[in-house]
Amino acid sequence: MKVKKAKKKMTNRERSEFLWGWLFILPTMAGLMILNIIPIFQTIYQSFFKTGSFGRGNIFVGLENYKRLFADTAVWQALLNTLKYAIVEVPFSIIIAIVLAVMLNQKMRGRSVYRMIYFMPMVCAPAAVAMVWKWLYNSEFGLLNHLLEAIGLPKVNWVSDPKIAFISLAIVGIWSVIGYNMVLFLAGLQEIPKDYYEAAEIDGANAVTQFFKITLPLISPTMFFVVITRVIASLQVFDSIFMMIGKNNPALPKTQSLVYLFYRYAFVENNKGYGSAIIVLLLCIIMLITVFQMKAQEKWVHYN
Amino acid sequence: MNWKKVSAVMLVAVMTASLAACGGSGSSDKSSDTKEESQDTGKSLVVAIWDSNQEPGLREIMDDFTAETGIDVDIQITPWRDYWTMLEAAATGGSMPDVFWMHSDQIGTYAEYDDILMNLSDKIKESDKIDLSNYPEELVNIYQNADGDQLAVPKDVDTCAVWYNKTMFDEAGIDYPTADWTWDDFREVAKKLTKDDGSQYGVAIAPANYQESWYSTIYAYGGEVLTPDKKKSGFDEPKTIEAMEMIENIIKDGSMPDYTVLSENDSTALMEAGTVAMTFQGSWSIPELAGNDYVKENCDIAPLPNGPEGTKSIYNGLGWAASANSENPEGAWKLIEYLGSKEAQEKQANLGVTMSAYEGTSDTWVNSQPGFNMQAYLDMREDAQAYPSSKNTQVWFQMMLEKMVDGFSGAKPMKDVCEDVAVEMNKFLAEEQ
Amino acid sequence: MKKIGNWHKLIKHVFLIIGAVIMLIPFAWMILTAFKTKSEATQMNPFIIFPSQWRTQAFANVVRKMDFIKLYINTLLMIFGRIICAVLTATTAGYAFGRLKFKGRDLCFSLVLFQMMVPVQIFIIPQYLMVSKLGMLNTIFSLIFPGLVTAFGTFLMRQAYMGLPKDLEEAARLDGCNIGQTFLYVMMPLTKSSMVALGIFTALFGYKDLMWPLIANTNQQSMPLAAGLAKLQGQFSSNYPELMAGSLIACIPMLVLYLLFQRHFIEGIATSGGKL
Repeated sequence: MKVKKAKKKMTNRERSEFLWGWLFILPTMAGLMILNIIPIFQTIYQSFFKTGSFGRGNIFVGLENYKRLFADTAVWQALLNTLKYAIVEVPFSIIIAIVLAVMLNQKMRGRSVYRMIYFMPMVCAPAAVAMVWKWLYNSEFGLLNHLLEAIGLPKVNWVSDPKIAFISLAIVGIWSVIGYNMVLFLAGLQEIPKDYYEAAEIDGANAVTQFFKITLPLISPTMFFVVITRVIASLQVFDSIFMMIGKNNPALPKTQSLVYLFYRYAFVENNKGYGSAIIVLLLCIIMLITVFQMKAQEKWVHYN
Repeated sequence: MNWKKVSAVMLVAVMTASLAACGGSGSSDKSSDTKEESQDTGKSLVVAIWDSNQEPGLREIMDDFTAETGIDVDIQITPWRDYWTMLEAAATGGSMPDVFWMHSDQIGTYAEYDDILMNLSDKIKESDKIDLSNYPEELVNIYQNADGDQLAVPKDVDTCAVWYNKTMFDEAGIDYPTADWTWDDFREVAKKLTKDDGSQYGVAIAPANYQESWYSTIYAYGGEVLTPDKKKSGFDEPKTIEAMEMIENIIKDGSMPDYTVLSENDSTALMEAGTVAMTFQGSWSIPELAGNDYVKENCDIAPLPNGPEGTKSIYNGLGWAASANSENPEGAWKLIEYLGSKEAQEKQANLGVTMSAYEGTSDTWVNSQPGFNMQAYLDMREDAQAYPSSKNTQVWFQMMLEKMVDGFSGAKPMKDVCEDVAVEMNKFLAEEQ
Repeated sequence: MKKIGNWHKLIKHVFLIIGAVIMLIPFAWMILTAFKTKSEATQMNPFIIFPSQWRTQAFANVVRKMDFIKLYINTLLMIFGRIICAVLTATTAGYAFGRLKFKGRDLCFSLVLFQMMVPVQIFIIPQYLMVSKLGMLNTIFSLIFPGLVTAFGTFLMRQAYMGLPKDLEEAARLDGCNIGQTFLYVMMPLTKSSMVALGIFTALFGYKDLMWPLIANTNQQSMPLAAGLAKLQGQFSSNYPELMAGSLIACIPMLVLYLLFQRHFIEGIATSGGKL
């Protein structure tokens, strides 16, 4: 009798958690379904069509778009560009942010001012950021080249030299995001107990050893989060390319990202089927990289 | 203390705004409702254009229209770069502007379906204001679909000419260009106007200046971009290649800034900064250039250089088209009829907006920018070549511009680039058939 | 010992100041260019750093050409619409994912995580067609539409609820609160700082989104700031004083808000925890 009653209570509780739980997640799940999950399938579906203008005259072509995709050197170049961008942007934005965070993680004069300044780009519209950098980078009238000339160095074609432009774009990305990464790392650093460092100091470990033996392992969960989100975000780079690299820029073939190609095919050349195939390719690549990172995290991320 | 006060005030402001937002997000449909209502009663039209330089003049003309008919007109500017993306998306989503600019590059795509653009043929027949014989024939024909239905009324014509920096000519002791100068003369002059220290160059031509400069060069040398039957590319014809090699030679002479500079700065900006002595400019650039103080003081306009076949300025013209699904089709037609009328076309030229399409209305246009030899543009009409376009111009055209980058930057010989363009272009053209 | 400490401090400050100057150069250049004339901006010999006269001509031009008030209002409405939606949907869902056990929870949550990994562009075409079928293109609704629900926000709130102690909930239950009441009166008030973070993230994402408004809100009357700026660039590709003036006008409200509520911004982002 007693046992039975307890069991019934449990089921009551379970039932109420079930009902409330679903009630609470229903708006989100419905929205997610309609806005995100179904569109993913629609986009995949569309990638099997040769699409006409104005969303009409679509012809089912099976894997034709994918065949073209695999043979299209521009797509592979764009993939390479995207990866190159990410390989520059992600590590630098993280390393600089960690160094800054460690420096600012102590009581010091002007700490909040520094923090404020480094975070500032984060609250600017990317369109504005891209425009001001494009102006700074201008090979003829830009401030950067003028400064180079003033100290006797040759001009650099920041955004039109195919070998350099992706780095220039990555610099903009780094500049925009280090403040954000820094704040996340500062939060992570604050959670490390002070006595770890005190103990290390007694053992005679210097600042560098402390950094590698204590700080780095203990903020690895934050690091993992930042790496995952930054990689995903940097693989979707679009705004800065769209705003900074013109259609006639000789660096365009060497800088355009997959998302830029998607935009061009889907919305400029009105070939939404092919555009969809490109974005599906990006989806696969992001999934692959993320799964790989999830697997790799066991090797270097320490949760306590 | 003060900061706290300020923040408190800001907080209040933000909160009131948020209240407004709650009302606002609800009322946004309301406002679109009222908009629809007003359209039903024939009050308001949305007009889309891409050139902000023309907006002030068009605004005046639209105001006249409003005064005459009581129909309000809202002009929306979307820059060229995004205009066709906007229009295609709007056509897909059924939210096209009522009346908008059409271009010969794009008409093929829009003419493919009969329920995107309003068919104007019957309306033109009944109209006493519009008679298509008053406009250049090629222009009228561009805006017809395969069945010969008229989908747009010509708005303007544009031609091209050379802008040159008089001060730099004086300094180098060179006579100003005359109507009989040739491309060989041009090359020599450009060389002389270039300074060794890189502070001044003779000329700036970018792939993006196709319509103003090198398309004309091609036709002036007897070549062609596209065969008249629009079935084949003309880029592998020897004369086309000869013309493009002329451009290549000018680049090789060192008379142009480095290609990277051209790709980052349009030729207008370089002209205005006093970096180059000559640029090729379409008549649509006049308001921008003539409004610049430096240009006003130092520059003037000359005709295009002659090739073996003459000057062959490319000429093109926009059309006024309407949405087939306009909620106010009557008003939309009335507006197009008004804009195509002799009166409005005259005013357009008079205000210096552009040369008008209506024959014989553009003479006053010459006086719209005193101090410049505007006659050069008008003269270019005499020996002009219609802008080459096919059904799906946009597709091969993008490819051509991309490939031309290699020719202009010197990465590949121009001859190879041209032959390459021809092969690709023929593929696209074959798909069109 | 003390001397070494001072040296350290000095080096650190030098390093941080150089960094800060680099961070500030683009802002400074934006401001300086905005007050120049076009020919001053492109003059090379001599190169002009400070405008000869602080002219407001570029601002006047840009404001005349573009209705910034309208852009502000649209951006504001979009941000508030999205924040309201995010707060309503993400707090409840975050609580359910973080504190309740029920069938289907983990599957649903994996969908949330999955959405965070997917490139957002994949949604754009279908979302555009949905909005256009609803006849809502070029409205505030279409600006809010992609932000009706937020996977990241849901994730953020789940983290916040998971970090709360268990006994509070137990106590509330013993007092006879049902789950809804527990959530509303006990748990939600404890996550205020995370909700501020949610609001800030939502605002920033909305404010920074460019591709969606480029496609769905092309009418000047319904454009947000980001799209307005892109349009400005397309129109005046080489008039840098005007472009910089426009950028400045577009950035200032958010910058002012940031400077005023700096602590909330930074703490809000810090509370997002940055952990998976």
